[in-house]
Amino acid sequence: MIKKEGSFKYLEIKNISKNFGETFVLKNIHLDVFKGEFLCLLGPSGCGKTTLLRIISGLERQTNGDIVQDGLLISNSPTEKRDFGIVFQSYALFPNLNAKQNIAYGLENKKINKKEIEKRTNNLLRLVGLEKYSDQFPSQLSGGQQQRVALARAMALSPGLLLLDEPLSALDAQVRSKLRNEIKLIQKKLNLTTIMVTHDQTEALSMADRVVVMERGHIAQIGTPFELYKNPITPFVADFIGKMNLLKGKYDKKNCVFYYLNNRFLISQNTEYSFLENCLLGIRPEDIEIIKFRKNIEKEENILRVKIKEITYLGTIFRLTVVLESKLEENIFVDVISNQVISNNLKIGDFIDIKLKKEKIKLFESNL
Amino acid sequence: MYFKKNFNKSFNILLLRILIIFVFILVSFFIIIPLLPLFLKSFSDNKNNFIGLENFINYIQNPSLTQSFINSLKVAITTTFFSVLIGFIYAYALTRTRLPLKKFFNTFSLFSLYIPPLAVAIGLIYIFGKQGLITQGFFGTIPGFDINLYGFNGIIIGEIFYCFPQALIILVSALNLSDQRLYEAAESLKASPLRKFLTITLPNIKYGLMNSFFICFILSFTDFGVPKVVGGNFNVLATDIYKQVVGQQNFAMGATISIYLLVPSILAFLIDKNFQKNEASLISGKSIPFKPRKNLIVDSIMFIFCSLILILVIGVFSSIVLASLIKIWPYDISLSLQNFRFSNVAGNGYEPYFNTVFMSIYTAIFGTIFVFFTAYLVEKFKPLKKIRMLIYFFSTLPIAIPGLVLGLSYILFFNKPSFSVPFLDFQIFNPFSLLYGTMGILVLANIIHFFTVCFISATTTLKQIDKEFEEVSESLKVPFYKTFLRITIPLSLPTILEIGSYYFVNSMITVSAIIFLYPAKIPVSSVSIVNMDDAGDTASAAAMSTLIVLTSLSVRLIYEFTSRNVSKKSSVWINPLET
Repeated sequence: MIKKEGSFKYLEIKNISKNFGETFVLKNIHLDVFKGEFLCLLGPSGCGKTTLLRIISGLERQTNGDIVQDGLLISNSPTEKRDFGIVFQSYALFPNLNAKQNIAYGLENKKINKKEIEKRTNNLLRLVGLEKYSDQFPSQLSGGQQQRVALARAMALSPGLLLLDEPLSALDAQVRSKLRNEIKLIQKKLNLTTIMVTHDQTEALSMADRVVVMERGHIAQIGTPFELYKNPITPFVADFIGKMNLLKGKYDKKNCVFYYLNNRFLISQNTEYSFLENCLLGIRPEDIEIIKFRKNIEKEENILRVKIKEITYLGTIFRLTVVLESKLEENIFVDVISNQVISNNLKIGDFIDIKLKKEKIKLFESNL
Repeated sequence: MYFKKNFNKSFNILLLRILIIFVFILVSFFIIIPLLPLFLKSFSDNKNNFIGLENFINYIQNPSLTQSFINSLKVAITTTFFSVLIGFIYAYALTRTRLPLKKFFNTFSLFSLYIPPLAVAIGLIYIFGKQGLITQGFFGTIPGFDINLYGFNGIIIGEIFYCFPQALIILVSALNLSDQRLYEAAESLKASPLRKFLTITLPNIKYGLMNSFFICFILSFTDFGVPKVVGGNFNVLATDIYKQVVGQQNFAMGATISIYLLVPSILAFLIDKNFQKNEASLISGKSIPFKPRKNLIVDSIMFIFCSLILILVIGVFSSIVLASLIKIWPYDISLSLQNFRFSNVAGNGYEPYFNTVFMSIYTAIFGTIFVFFTAYLVEKFKPLKKIRMLIYFFSTLPIAIPGLVLGLSYILFFNKPSFSVPFLDFQIFNPFSLLYGTMGILVLANIIHFFTVCFISATTTLKQIDKEFEEVSESLKVPFYKTFLRITIPLSLPTILEIGSYYFVNSMITVSAIIFLYPAKIPVSSVSIVNMDDAGDTASAAAMSTLIVLTSLSVRLIYEFTSRNVSKKSSVWINPLET
């Protein structure tokens, strides 16, 4: 876990659990969020990420554990006494109030004079770039504009913490990537501690300072996007952040060799793997090379002879789905740059040799 | 060590809990608790001695009384069958065919909702009665035809008039939820029209169908107005209760018969509730509404069918109006307004009419506030889940409590100045007894009598309002009551107006809930229709019925006008853009 220079723990989540009778939604969650940080809770649906966000906001109550915000214990405080702003997936804009009234909704309840409210509302409208739309009702705004109103409304009371619950998932792809950058800019400009829930890994990787990958009610791994990509500690994280081929086999610790069917793979000795025998070999599609077809591959290291089953065009690269002749049902994915496919005239049904880069191979404990 | 913020409990949550408990107490005292003295009464004699099941045994051993029970069942089953059948065909014509003049048929089909069942019965007398238009062949111009109105036939016709629009409303909304794509998929799989009907249409409306059976059964099983006027010697439970209580002052037997009336209704209610529990919408938000195709044969048959129904409805209404304007039917058929003087003893002039109008206005105002607030507390908040579930259950119950039973239980409960605590020599003052003998008790009886339909409609609307509005408000530190006033009420305004108009119209036409309750100094018009009819002054009864129908219709027109303005004003935020 990184600790930024001069940053301090703004939010501490201590041993939070949530269960409904026997079923656990969250189990012993520990998490520190630093001041000014953009943190993403990432995971598939049902992993408990939204529940965790709702517990932080007080909209739901934990079964066990404590939450400390800015040095104050808030575990049992009601929502209205907590210091945060929230944007929901549906935005939940009040349909009978226009953009400006929506943003001012929380301000009007405070004992602030009208001029001050007007000033702050206009500042917020400017911040999200909606000065021209202040009189429009939500139904007259586009999805992206509605999203910005919701964001401005959440920031109206200058909260210390911003909570975003899948804020972009209702938008189409283009608007989404534009808003991603905007939210990030505003967040950095205000140095606003932010927690965002998402199931979209691209969104998490492109926006977050740190990502918390969650799986079935617990935290699988916490780290910067690059750390998670480079050093996933479980096969789940490996396959959720990017793509990872996972081959089940046996590991010979003494000789640093992994056996997969009849094939041997040399494993880099840099990492000490504590587990034994049955385990998974992981390698990303982009870490597999296609090499020239050679007669006697037995002498070469970490090479498999495979048959091309499918070729999928993904833009700048092709993804090949290849299989071993001895194990047709197990797909291995290989990413190659487009030129290589075209110049080698690769076709479905061709046999090729692929090389798994030794230093990129990871081993995971097999829990199967 | 961390600083502990001094939060105690939030004031808003405390306020919310108090409000929920307060509403719980109100619905308990207005719906459930008044039934207890009724049960007690049914186990006692008229001097309040406990006699166990003796009343019930007496009842079963009295052949004329048991006959009434069988008669009521017969009426209810026959009416339910025909009302749902007619309602279904009419609803099908409105939603699934290219019926010509659909808008016209749609509007006028609900016309009989504004005619009190009593008035329907009076209208029937002028058409099918001894001196009726059809019986006498339009004053002897063509051969007459006697359907033997007084008795089973008359009751059935009157009840169908009363129940059919109720079934129609439920079935139209059930049939409106359709998905064109299912029919297209079935067609692509070469399904016959019958197969499509049996495998798509029917399963989709089974909950609505069941619900309309249940509503029609309860309404016709417990109705008092129609059998009172055209029942003749065909006794039913409702008229028996009236005779026991009003005629013989035998409250104990009245209470006993009430139990016989209440139990089948509650059973029907529970069966329906259990059935509806499994309801899961088969139609998703993304479905494409069904678009009927032209089919000359079906469309023409439907047109003839719907026209016949409408002619009957309008015929009954016209005959009421006509009867009220004709001097002495059928001897002097010149027009006059003399029947509108209500100068006879039973009439009391215009006092009953104005009392009824005020009663209906009060019911509309207080009923709407109470029902909407109750639904809001039950639907929108998390605290006190069990109590909120009980409030919900109590709120759905009144539809199964027959008006006469409600009225009788209200007398027994509200006229007690104090309750005695069992086993202790101790009396508690009954604050609700202050309402007894005032307009208040009539308003309250009406509010509760029609509570369920209003409650369900308020709940449905509130469900459609994003529950995250409350959560956003909390995060913005805005207390819930401000959001209620500023967001929830404006968004629910169409439904609130609808509930108000429903309360008004039903309070105008109801008789059963208030016939035992109305204080002598506050005569009401529906009761005076009963009395004028009893006294043989049918023309004045028709005149009063005309006034009631016209008032209800005008209020409905005002409602349509207002709600159109409201929706014009809100159309800006009601039609969301596609995002």
